[in-house]
Amino acid sequence: MFRPLSTMAIALSLMLPVQADARPLVLAIGGEPDGGFDPIMGWGHYGNPLFQSTLLRYDAGLNLIGDLAEDWILSEDGLVWQLRLRGDAMFSDGTPLTAEDVAFTYNTARAAGGLADLTVLKEARALDATTVELELTEPRITFVSRLATLGIVPAASYGSDYARYPVGSGPFKMVEWREGEQLVVEPNPHWHGGAIAFERVSFVFGSEEAGQALARTGTADLVAVPPSLADAAPSGMKVLHVDTVDNRGLAFPMVFRTGGTTAAGTPIGNDVTADRAIRVAINQALDREALVALALNGHGRPATGPADGLPWDNPEAAIPGNDPAAAMETLETGGWTDTDGDGIREKDGLRAAFQVLYPASDSTRQALALGASDQLREIGIDAQPSGSSWDEIGALMHSEVVVLGWGAHDPSEIFYLHHGDYAGVDYYNTGHYANPTVDAHLEAAEAAPSFDASLAEWKAAAWDGETGFSLKGDATWAWMVNLDHSYWVSDCLDLGPLQVHPHGHGFPITHDLPSWRWTCE
Amino acid sequence: MSDATKLPLCLPEHLRRPQRRAKRHGIVALAILGAVLAGAVLLPDGALSVNAATRAQPPQPAHLMGTDLLGRDIAARTLAALAQSVQVGLLAAGASTIMAVVLGLAATFGRMADHVVGLLTELALGLPHFVLLIMIAFAMGGGTAGVVVAVALTHWPRLARVLRHEAQTIAASDYVAISRALGRSRLWVARHHLAQPLVPQIVAGFIVIFPHAILHEAGLSFIGLGIEPHLPSIGVMLSESLREIMAGHWWVAAAPGLGLMLVALTFERFGEALRQLSNPAGEEA
Repeated sequence: MFRPLSTMAIALSLMLPVQADARPLVLAIGGEPDGGFDPIMGWGHYGNPLFQSTLLRYDAGLNLIGDLAEDWILSEDGLVWQLRLRGDAMFSDGTPLTAEDVAFTYNTARAAGGLADLTVLKEARALDATTVELELTEPRITFVSRLATLGIVPAASYGSDYARYPVGSGPFKMVEWREGEQLVVEPNPHWHGGAIAFERVSFVFGSEEAGQALARTGTADLVAVPPSLADAAPSGMKVLHVDTVDNRGLAFPMVFRTGGTTAAGTPIGNDVTADRAIRVAINQALDREALVALALNGHGRPATGPADGLPWDNPEAAIPGNDPAAAMETLETGGWTDTDGDGIREKDGLRAAFQVLYPASDSTRQALALGASDQLREIGIDAQPSGSSWDEIGALMHSEVVVLGWGAHDPSEIFYLHHGDYAGVDYYNTGHYANPTVDAHLEAAEAAPSFDASLAEWKAAAWDGETGFSLKGDATWAWMVNLDHSYWVSDCLDLGPLQVHPHGHGFPITHDLPSWRWTCE
Repeated sequence: MSDATKLPLCLPEHLRRPQRRAKRHGIVALAILGAVLAGAVLLPDGALSVNAATRAQPPQPAHLMGTDLLGRDIAARTLAALAQSVQVGLLAAGASTIMAVVLGLAATFGRMADHVVGLLTELALGLPHFVLLIMIAFAMGGGTAGVVVAVALTHWPRLARVLRHEAQTIAASDYVAISRALGRSRLWVARHHLAQPLVPQIVAGFIVIFPHAILHEAGLSFIGLGIEPHLPSIGVMLSESLREIMAGHWWVAAAPGLGLMLVALTFERFGEALRQLSNPAGEEA
């Protein structure tokens, strides 16, 4: 039925100039957390807690600035952080945020043992309403990153359904969350950070394809797209490529198979990749530029380490790739020769063959596995790509090569990836690598009196002139690429200056969401 | 077929003979399948490898059906995928047929067995086909083995029902009753009186299951439960093409889609031709 009046009303409302700051913002960037929005269980570890605020935060240049904390000081012995909170912080339900809430959050997170790793925290104490003291069991300089990622929850109302109905002191409060579909948030009127230009923000979840379809119909204002497709932006949107340390590489099993198994009963070790000559040759042979072109459509950078370009990266430790001749020489010297003429080398009857596992759902890792496999066949190594589920990869990652990815604003990741204590823990040191010299450097870095002082030790762990985890040393990984995170952004949206993004395509871009602005009426 | 009797008499003689036409169709179908299988075997080394220099190119002389996002030649990939589909189809259809034959013959072993087989068949037919496929493939952990088992376990009921019906008709005939009266065992009767008349039905059933098996293999791979995504498979190629079609790369979907249709149709024709040739009713024309 045609209703002239109501039709006219809708038409009129569309024609009226809408106030620039009242338009809802629609984001299709994925990143829906499985476990809900509880910082204690790991929400906000990558990127931005959205509903909560943190003690410190990183600015666009990755410098630490205060958020809830106005000033902070680390004791001489590196064991006690003392922070003074701002007085005007409030939770979205209108109750004030005090030092008690901070102490509660840190103590609860330590006990919970979620993704926010706080095992080094001894105790968090509220000295008065605005002063909090965090005491560590041992000097741990990377603890400062926890201060910038752990969102503060209210001690009074934190409960079992908090992840579903978060209350925090961050820039936004939740309006509605339909799991798997969308999250709707509104600005938190009690936020201490100033005015936000959006009346309402919707995060639409679902497949990559669904997000792209929304962009083409003009419904979404910011869409995360795979780099390979980014160039074909629909009209009214521009392409944005953000530099990242979101890297992908081949994680090698580092030990020989001696029959050992993990607690879950899966095998450990691979006799081919345990040979350093194989790992070094792979690093020498990989043409990383070609991989960037193949898998990322050119939107990325070659990777030679786990933290390329970050202050704790050691550029000395890299070796140039794309040198098949040098790789073949390494293999010959290492005793790997093709004796039976099938194009694949052998050593003492062992074929230079292994699987390269990639998650079947990830097209970028699939392309990297295929590209690397092709390149390695040319130097006589048979790397067979194999698409698997994460469950299968979890079972096989200690005995086969896996395409894994990391990248964080936090050098503690370097520690987890290479320290012998983390052998076989989660997806960290999957290869069971252990080198006492590297372990000592990593421990010295964590024990450093200041962040700047720790940098030299992080670099030495990669390569100290004699050994290290890097390509020049033990070559524990063959790093391949750093991804660009690609987005389509509405021409009308100004995102301001952007950080170098960590691992995780999507949510990290919302880090500065409160300061985004519309630029057209 | 009875329709053939109504053909106008002005047609040349060879067209009036459905048998000969069926033979011709069958030969053409076999030739196409042979070409697919042989072509896949004869693919040159490296025809399926990725190449950053030739990404997403439209059809051209060097790549007749274009290349995909990783620079692989789509024509070569489609050929390999079709060959793989035919093999999976063969395995799955073979297993399904064996199940159907065993169950169909088992139905003649007394009233109880007949009831059980009937119940099983109705039960399997009552479940939505693709849901059952997904459940079995998922339970098997996906992969090629999962697809074969899933397809094999879901395609027997129709053929089993046909065979059961045929077997019952034969079992009710006088000569079977005489055989039994002469003291022959049920097994002897099944072997000598039932198996042979059922052969045409079994062969035709096998061929008809084939395209279904291929289509379902593609379906399972399409939703990610089938073959590993880097291996050539029609379902995988079609699901990859979804996002590329949006970017205007129509050729990525064209070759696998048309190829799948061609092979499925070919089998359908082949099965139909075989049925016509073996069906005594066809001779009435």
